[in-house]
Amino acid sequence: MTTDSIPLLLITADPSHPLAQLALRYAQASLQHNPSLNVFFYGDGAHTANRLRWQSAEQINITQQWQTLATEHAITLSVCVSTALSRGISDIDNSGRHQLQGDNMANHFQLVGLSELAIMMQNDCRLISF
Amino acid sequence: MKILIQLRTPTEMASYEGCALALTLATFGHDIQLYLDAPVFGLLMQPTSRLHGMVQSLELYDMPAAWLPDDVFSGWITAFLPNDLAAQLTFIPEIVDSAQFEQILTF
Repeated sequence: MTTDSIPLLLITADPSHPLAQLALRYAQASLQHNPSLNVFFYGDGAHTANRLRWQSAEQINITQQWQTLATEHAITLSVCVSTALSRGISDIDNSGRHQLQGDNMANHFQLVGLSELAIMMQNDCRLISF
Repeated sequence: MKILIQLRTPTEMASYEGCALALTLATFGHDIQLYLDAPVFGLLMQPTSRLHGMVQSLELYDMPAAWLPDDVFSGWITAFLPNDLAAQLTFIPEIVDSAQFEQILTF
């Protein structure tokens, strides 16, 4: 593992947790210096991908900030499909597959299997968990 | 990558997700050590819990026995578990060099 290795942010913190904010700030800072960054939302971190998560106006909208970062830097926001579904977060495909009514996946987030994380970790990566 | 995954949250979902991550990473050749803290013992004792079944299968994933806290309570709980599950558990070594792990994840 070297300092040149690609950072892999494993985010398990709920979006309301200070660590979730720290992960975003880390990603913002990292992308200023290095265009490569892998992000994987797991467990309670999957709530970040819920576009129906309401919060009052004075609060930072972390979902929106991740979406902005994804647009500006063309990064993929991977979310573990099983942890998302078990928290009521689904995209159109999975809603159809599991007979769920509606979908609430925020744009730029993508549901993937847990094996995606394992594959990301097989490459030269610097795993940082939040 | 050598990773320690600690299960500390006494909910079915959190313990399942931590253990599922451990088994998946082990499948991909990562060196994973599980640590089960006392709050998850209740789930471990339930034969119907996913944690119970997954810990039972650690050997199939070429994973070492999961660590338990080295105390009387762990000894007591191990004695109450079925033999095939108890065989997948061991006390945490007296001295653990956490620097040997590249990452420590907690669920």
